[in-house]
Amino acid sequence: MRFPALLIPLAAAILAAGPLPLKDLPPGKVMMVIQPHHDDHTTDYGMGGLIAKFTDAGYESYFVRASNDEKDGAHGYGHNDLINERESKAAIAILGMRDLYSLSWRNDYMDPIPLQELRAQLIFLIRKHRPDVVLTHDPWGHYDRNPDHRKVARAMGDAYWLAGLENVHPEHFELGVRPHRVPYLFYKARVDYGKGHEPNVAVELSESQVRRKMRAYSTHRNVYASPAMARAVREQLAKEGLELPGLRGLTDEAAAVEMEEWHMDWISRKRGRENGVRYAEVYYFVDEFDHLPGLKEYLRQHTVKK
Amino acid sequence: MRTLFLALCLAAGAAAADPKVVLVITADASDFVHCAGGTIATMVERGAAAHLIRVTNDEKDSWRLSPEETARRVREEVEQAARALGIEKVHHLGYRAGELASVSPTELRDRIAFYVRLLKPDVMFLPNPYAEYVEVLDRYYTGSAAEEARRAASLANYQPPFAQVGLEPHFVPELYHYAAPVDPRRREPESTATFVPQPVTRDIAAAFDRKLRAALALRTINYSLAMRIRQRLEETGRRLPLLDTVDDAAVAKLVEINLRRLAAIGAEKTAFQLAEEFHYAGLDYQIPQKYRGASQ
Repeated sequence: MRFPALLIPLAAAILAAGPLPLKDLPPGKVMMVIQPHHDDHTTDYGMGGLIAKFTDAGYESYFVRASNDEKDGAHGYGHNDLINERESKAAIAILGMRDLYSLSWRNDYMDPIPLQELRAQLIFLIRKHRPDVVLTHDPWGHYDRNPDHRKVARAMGDAYWLAGLENVHPEHFELGVRPHRVPYLFYKARVDYGKGHEPNVAVELSESQVRRKMRAYSTHRNVYASPAMARAVREQLAKEGLELPGLRGLTDEAAAVEMEEWHMDWISRKRGRENGVRYAEVYYFVDEFDHLPGLKEYLRQHTVKK
Repeated sequence: MRTLFLALCLAAGAAAADPKVVLVITADASDFVHCAGGTIATMVERGAAAHLIRVTNDEKDSWRLSPEETARRVREEVEQAARALGIEKVHHLGYRAGELASVSPTELRDRIAFYVRLLKPDVMFLPNPYAEYVEVLDRYYTGSAAEEARRAASLANYQPPFAQVGLEPHFVPELYHYAAPVDPRRREPESTATFVPQPVTRDIAAAFDRKLRAALALRTINYSLAMRIRQRLEETGRRLPLLDTVDDAAVAKLVEINLRRLAAIGAEKTAFQLAEEFHYAGLDYQIPQKYRGASQ
């Protein structure tokens, strides 16, 4: 087989870049996933494997879904919202998460909503649950034209640290919550290689964690089980006298789910292969004192146990 | 139009060689000191008159002080910091800290453009809105507005009433985009060698003491920083011996460690000992070397 010329520079670039450092879970007890949509935590560019790794390690985990996902699915806005929320709850249960918050902003219309209002909701939830780690969309990712992704990422870019300041929304303290700055962040973007989002760590996943990610992903049947896509692929192959044996006997809907799972398996193995392990996901990780570039080395060297 | 452009470029060349007026734009009290204080002080030392536009009131960042008291104290402290760098005057725009997302970008642009026309700077310092992983998004909004203000101030059809009261269009020939060194790609050259600000470093060894004095003047923010570090460490069963007692001496030591390390990061891979990093747009930003050579 001829190696396509176009792939040579790409392969060379990946080899030149070398594997990313493997990141262990940071210390803590509570983890929060804050994403625009019901499925963003489990998609191929998503973070389902890392979520499973956190819950396996005993982290208490919460999922915040900012939009109402009314556009995802073929059942009309109201029904889509209900179905997607139900599927989202099933997905987080598979991953071992404790609860879901649906902020229910109008799907794909989040650009004009007040940033501060969304930010205030996130600040409150951060103060309520005091997460040690937040997994969220990268506010600095490029080429993501989804308005909900941009809005949530930007709101989180403020919320995770403003939540730690007493002079931000002091009314929250009437409810007994206290300021809390999120010390660790894992950022993910839709386009996760290239200038738009260059991951700085890889997280090794177990076989079980990848399988749970795949199951959680395929739970979102309302949006991912696209019979038309599976039918089109099978028809195209049939024209060339080919078929996919793994899809033999399946309905178009079941075939679509199966194909999505293949993709999930492929991407987990690919990220693993690039980083010297069997399965992996890649992230831009922000450490607890990265916001203090002039002090983080000093703190690392001089901090002692009490 | 082409003649106008060339005239602007030639003016840019003259200004680049002999800066007289420096306009510094900062979102908050500490950013301009930490990222650009040494270079600003050096320009003042060489004879430039410097002005500072401070966009927000810094009301959020303090330790156990109300927003009102925080804003009052930090306003006085940023005046002291500016004086330590030799800045002549601070222009406080007074927007609430952390809330720039709800401020009209056009309003902010036009307020900055007003000062550009009033002061007619040769050099402008602004937060780099393209620097990634900078957590204070007020810096992004300020940098974006300042970039637009620089352009708007140079064009007669922006805010015609300005010209009617004597504020003629003014083109700022040199730009220094500054940011905290958290963007892992900040040293990568931009995609073209001209017309785009490029990474540069500036030696600040001679001005470091003034920069440090300026940073030490920001007592409210510095104390808040020290207490927040101590709180984080305490919550996680750790301690930093320097902060066992958070008094003036400990905070001053922390500030000096921070500034010296920032300056060392700026000097990495250069011949300097202490430096600041910028994305700089000067004469080459306007007209390539090749054409400048031909005109001489």
